[in-house]
Amino acid sequence: MKKRIPLILIFVAGLLGVISFVIPHPSYQVYDEWMRNDLLRVLSAFAVVLALGSLLRVHFDKIRRKRRNWQYSWLLLVAFGGSAIIGLFGGVAADGILPTTVRSFSFDIQTLYENIVIPLASSMFALLAFFMASAAYRAFRVRSTEATLLLTAAFIVMIGVLPLGYSISKHLPAFVQWILNVPNVAAQRGIVLGIALGVVATSLKIILGIERAWLGGGE
Amino acid sequence: MIFILCALMGLAPPTNVRAYDTPDDGGGSINIEWQLSPDDAQIDGYEIYRSEDGVNFTKVGFIGKSRSLNQDQTEDGITYTYKVAAVSDTLRAFSQPSMEVISSASWINVAKMNIYVAMIIFGGLILYYIYHARKGKKLFIRKIAGLQAIDDAVGRATEMGKPILYILGLGYIEEIATLASLNILGEVAKKTAQYDTKLIVPNADPIVYTVAREIVKESYTNVGRPDAYDPDSVFFLAREQMAYAAGIDGIMTREKPATNFLVGYFAAESLVLAETGAATGAIQIAGTDALAQLPFFVTACDYTLIGEELYAASAYISKRPLLLGAIKGEDWSKVIIATVLILASIIGLVSRFPILSLFQ
Amino acid sequence: MKIYERLMTIDRRIIYAILLVVVTLPLVFPSVLKVTPMTPVEKLFTAVDNTPDDKALILDCSYAPQIKAEVEPMAIAVLRHAFKTRKKILVLSLYVEMIGLATRAINQVVEEFNSVAETYEDSLIYGRDYVFLGWQPPPIVPMLGMGESISNIYVVDYYGNQTDTLQIMQKVKNYNDISILVALSGSTIPISWVAYAQNRYGLRVGVGCTAVSGADFYTYYQTGQFTGLMVGMKGAAEYEELVEANHGVKGRRVASEAMLSLTYAHLIIMLFIVIGNIGFFLHRRRK
Repeated sequence: MKKRIPLILIFVAGLLGVISFVIPHPSYQVYDEWMRNDLLRVLSAFAVVLALGSLLRVHFDKIRRKRRNWQYSWLLLVAFGGSAIIGLFGGVAADGILPTTVRSFSFDIQTLYENIVIPLASSMFALLAFFMASAAYRAFRVRSTEATLLLTAAFIVMIGVLPLGYSISKHLPAFVQWILNVPNVAAQRGIVLGIALGVVATSLKIILGIERAWLGGGE
Repeated sequence: MIFILCALMGLAPPTNVRAYDTPDDGGGSINIEWQLSPDDAQIDGYEIYRSEDGVNFTKVGFIGKSRSLNQDQTEDGITYTYKVAAVSDTLRAFSQPSMEVISSASWINVAKMNIYVAMIIFGGLILYYIYHARKGKKLFIRKIAGLQAIDDAVGRATEMGKPILYILGLGYIEEIATLASLNILGEVAKKTAQYDTKLIVPNADPIVYTVAREIVKESYTNVGRPDAYDPDSVFFLAREQMAYAAGIDGIMTREKPATNFLVGYFAAESLVLAETGAATGAIQIAGTDALAQLPFFVTACDYTLIGEELYAASAYISKRPLLLGAIKGEDWSKVIIATVLILASIIGLVSRFPILSLFQ
Repeated sequence: MKIYERLMTIDRRIIYAILLVVVTLPLVFPSVLKVTPMTPVEKLFTAVDNTPDDKALILDCSYAPQIKAEVEPMAIAVLRHAFKTRKKILVLSLYVEMIGLATRAINQVVEEFNSVAETYEDSLIYGRDYVFLGWQPPPIVPMLGMGESISNIYVVDYYGNQTDTLQIMQKVKNYNDISILVALSGSTIPISWVAYAQNRYGLRVGVGCTAVSGADFYTYYQTGQFTGLMVGMKGAAEYEELVEANHGVKGRRVASEAMLSLTYAHLIIMLFIVIGNIGFFLHRRRK
């Protein structure tokens, strides 16, 4: 029974989703819209509460049991509480219920975003440059014919896209464009076609209840 | 008077104004089509006028020159007539009014007929092979190295006494990559339950988190080890992309998992995760349908499931005949699409062949 | 430790340190490296360059702060190009958090031009030569709506002016009056422009994107759905080069300045790959 109800639900919901594609009539679309927007939003709201609860529980537990690196958990809790208070009372852009503006500086979510989130996210993004170097050094070995071919193509593209490429040969940048435009696009189209069909088949399997590992597996 | 003025200025009105209910829609819309004014090149554009009584027209829209179709928002059940005027500065040259028209909603979208046909063919093929498999026909599936490695990966973690890290990526629950990843998570959790290996599942999306938690719990119950399930093994980490990546990097460097699974939808954080994982010496199994991230995973991970290999994973691991049947159906659909593409390309090439144009 | 082992297992931190030096030094002492524009960038440049006097350009600045370093130079180069050749230009952002970056780019370039302008005619006048439409959520609304009427979607601009009273908007009513839209983004926004604005209204779309998303976008460039394509810092540098070479616009070329750094970084990575492979080769010979 515990398995059957979700399976029936997904079958019905999936079928209704397919039908909405066929029937443009408003009497049906209104319902579809409700399911897609309102219902999903309500469910997300509950899920957010559960998710934040999980985050807090894990870290409270870590502190209580003094597990390894438990000090960091304090950092998380303070940051969590701090930004929640600022968001609730300071508002998004100094439009909250409390006066949080000191001269030109205002304590609000926008300030946090600009001065904490953006620099941190940019730094993480910048790490990519270093990781690309170490990953390429470790992985690019001419183990086989295919690997040699790949490495050759990679070198040509890398040199070709550089200003240096043109001074080596006038034709190199054009050849690089050809690699990007023809073999690259051809391979991508193949993968995309497979992905599109895979999406159809997987959706069908889930709707029909054949694929049920998402229910924790089992027959 | 206006007509005389227009004639003097040489501004000709658009002709043949045709108004009809917009087909295949949910109602509330009428299409208006007209033939361009002969003076199209000199005018600013066209104004659309509407009337409910056929006498008093009000302006309901403007569209630039060289365009001969516009849509008007209407109320269903009311009779309208339309006029179109060519506009040049203050001059207006009005067309004859259109026939009366009423907008209404359609019940079936006929314009998508080709999609229904494709849906029936591909769906039918997949169902046919599932039915075939149910009757006990044995089906072959080629080896997928990344999935064969799962057993070894779990075994290795058990031997080393280290945890397994399962990363679901940034995807939402409705994305197929996320669903496929949850399927694999179910199978991996069964194995960690059997071997009593620690499993860590950090999440980026609240809904995916709740589903992942249930899946892991069910898997532990299914193999008869509900006692071994740790509710804190699946947890929510952060929704923000780079915060999520930073959090996982922290887990990787502190816990040093023996195996990392990076399966689902990933964006720019893919290499940040995979390279940190490689630095900690973990075996890494990745899988995604995000094309731009595939090169990073192939470079930094030991095994990578590319695109639909990821979707096929659950069938491969569980070896359930019904799932294998679906994959067979999918393969035949691909054969059909490839054949159509090749035929279309040949026809396209032949019809442009210079020799043929000699006969035209 | 054998020599080949050493070559195959260089410590990550050494690679990182060398890369850091190689990337930073050319940025500290900037010098412009000459680049040769490739076809996708040239096509974009030509499309902007050929905008007739009775049409305008749209510049969509929808890039997030993370990718500012790569994409902002593109915005500046396109703005310089448009302003120098006196093309009318409409700027917008599809997301609220990107508005700050768009205004930054506009203000910088307008300041560059107006600081050397001698007459009123030479100066760039807001509302006459350019307009910042701001942000109108969700993205699909302006994408579709501007096909019918731009001032119906953006009733007021970012600064609160009625758009239909602005001089520039008198002749620019909808996509019919737009020669090309240049979408600068690191996400799939350019594909949405094609799906909604191009498929329905025939709007030409040019794109500037990050190097990582470039590979994805070549598919659309190849089919002609994207008129032109600027990929990454190199694409930005090529556009800067075209603007300076064809129209003599002087100004700081941030992307071109980074070319030396980019070149060294590529060469260092290639060097490490070669070293690793020499080690691998020796190791195999030994076996």
